[in-house]
Amino acid sequence: MTMTMALPSRSRPFWPAMLRGMLWAFLFAMGVLVLYPLLWMALGGFKSNSQIFSDPFALPASWSLENYLAGWRATRGYMLSSLLVTLVSTLTTVMISAWTAFGLTRTAIPGKPLVVGFILGGMMLSPTVALVPLVRMLQDLGIYDSHAALILLYTAFRVPFTTFLIRAYMLDLPRDLDEAAMMDGASPGQIFRKVILPLCQPILISCVVLHILFAWNEYLFAMIFTNSPGVQTLPVGLTSMMSKQGTNFAAVFAAMTISALPIVIIFFLTQRYFIRGLTQGIGK
Amino acid sequence: MADLTLRDLRKTYGNVPVLHGIDLDIAEGEFIAFVGPSGCGKSTLLRCIAGLEDISAGELRIGGTLMNHVAPARRGIAMVFQSYALYPHMTVFENMAFGMRIAGLPKAEITARVQSAAEKLQLGPYLHRHPRALSGGQRQRVAIGRAIVRDPGVFLFDEPLSNLDAALRAATRVEIARLKKSMPGTTMIYVTHDQVEAMTLADRIVVLRGGRIEQVGRPIDLYRRPANLFVAGFIGSPAMNILPARLEAAGQGTTLRMEDGGQLHLARPAPAGLAGRPVHLGIRPEDLRLARPGEAALLSGRILLVEQLGEVQILHVESPAAPASPLIVKVPGTADVIEGGQVLLCAEPAAMRLFDEAGVAFADEATLQE
Repeated sequence: MTMTMALPSRSRPFWPAMLRGMLWAFLFAMGVLVLYPLLWMALGGFKSNSQIFSDPFALPASWSLENYLAGWRATRGYMLSSLLVTLVSTLTTVMISAWTAFGLTRTAIPGKPLVVGFILGGMMLSPTVALVPLVRMLQDLGIYDSHAALILLYTAFRVPFTTFLIRAYMLDLPRDLDEAAMMDGASPGQIFRKVILPLCQPILISCVVLHILFAWNEYLFAMIFTNSPGVQTLPVGLTSMMSKQGTNFAAVFAAMTISALPIVIIFFLTQRYFIRGLTQGIGK
Repeated sequence: MADLTLRDLRKTYGNVPVLHGIDLDIAEGEFIAFVGPSGCGKSTLLRCIAGLEDISAGELRIGGTLMNHVAPARRGIAMVFQSYALYPHMTVFENMAFGMRIAGLPKAEITARVQSAAEKLQLGPYLHRHPRALSGGQRQRVAIGRAIVRDPGVFLFDEPLSNLDAALRAATRVEIARLKKSMPGTTMIYVTHDQVEAMTLADRIVVLRGGRIEQVGRPIDLYRRPANLFVAGFIGSPAMNILPARLEAAGQGTTLRMEDGGQLHLARPAPAGLAGRPVHLGIRPEDLRLARPGEAALLSGRILLVEQLGEVQILHVESPAAPASPLIVKVPGTADVIEGGQVLLCAEPAAMRLFDEAGVAFADEATLQE
């Protein structure tokens, strides 16, 4: 009896400490799993092509920026395209989605559940299935192989998901605010711009980050709907660089590192808002 | 001019009627309180007046102008919401200035109006703070300030004190009373479930039940002369005692046979046709008193519970005259009473109120002797 009583009190500090240790080990392993390939890629940019194959896990023999300069020269044009497509499609997607979400949450629309279902149903549409008709449609519109094609596609395919996120957030905002603004004489447009939109800042930042991640990395549409190097975006540019300079992996690694940098910086700058926006929006 | 006229005002949600034809006249500068139990339609009525709900049928006139389809901002009204509804991303100044900025008023005028309202409500030091940095009472004052700066003809309050604690509520109530005095020409409509707020602030109270007006009148009239059993039970805390009885003789004098077999003579007229019919006798707890030695008692009973409140004691008395629920009696805090003891009770006939079988008060002037 005495022994059985004493046993749990002795084991109490041991197991929590053990569990905590295992948790730390697990998190550390996960961190290595995520970060090591990125680090390996960045370090690869400093090596020579032969060192990558002969000594793949060693540190670079010399810290030359030559590959990075070559990578920058090779991807500069693609990066400009990516910047343009990403910025414009982010703006159009977030603004259209915010307006749509405002309409879906703040106005009386006949058959609203049907409208909500129709818009959010867009999330179910597979881009692969729509490829062939989309090629025809964009050719007919005369915007095939242009930045406009990618901006239009990225906006159209991301509006449902972005609307879904912003709508969930707006549902949490108290109706009294709209009514108070209405009593103050604000029109629906003014209520949207001056009251609701500023209050949606956390979810808008989350949506901006999510869209930038999508548009910057998107490959399928960029590969199919663009041909000219002046229009192609980074993911396509990087693959074409590999086919041309297949043997110079060091330059490719450097270019990939350069192309990933803007996204990493944006994510770290907006990380706080990003998490807050997503978790708050999930409330309803 | 900001008098209000409501004529057969109705509101339905789908097929569900919420307001069943409200008729009400509110004079310019009057302070009106809407009271009633939850779901009685008092907030819906206020929102119809504000323009936040469409009016299904009937008329709403403000200053003689039909307002049924006029936008809220054009009705000359301002509203203080239960939740304050302050814009969280704006400072106190911006919150108060928002409506005037929308209206395109000159900057100097906006600043002057906000400063004046802030001074009136002691908000001067907080003008550059955000609502999250204010206490509940300060937020409430900002909400009132936001309404004041618009210089409205009609001021609407939707349960403005319900989010405050008891002490702050009492203090803010006094501030609202002071505010009303400083704006004599402004009509105020105040929705509350708190009788104390309604009784102390309002010139007239409107009692609502199930989307209908039960009674409209001065607070003291509603208290002393309730129109029916619902108002008698709703206004006053503790509520009026309702005793079942039978009208034995009607005419110039009224004789009642109580449930315990006792007889009560009242020197007041009663409709002759009601002789032999069941009636209800209403007596306020403070109108019942302990009988003096040798005095003929109206009621007798056993004390079930004594609630000592210091100044007064509330007795719960089990009596054969009130079989449904104990009688509630308010006696002085110093009265010598004990739980389980027998008591004899008296009441002034003038303070009693008679209701017919359907619960409607007898229309006799003798009931109220102020």
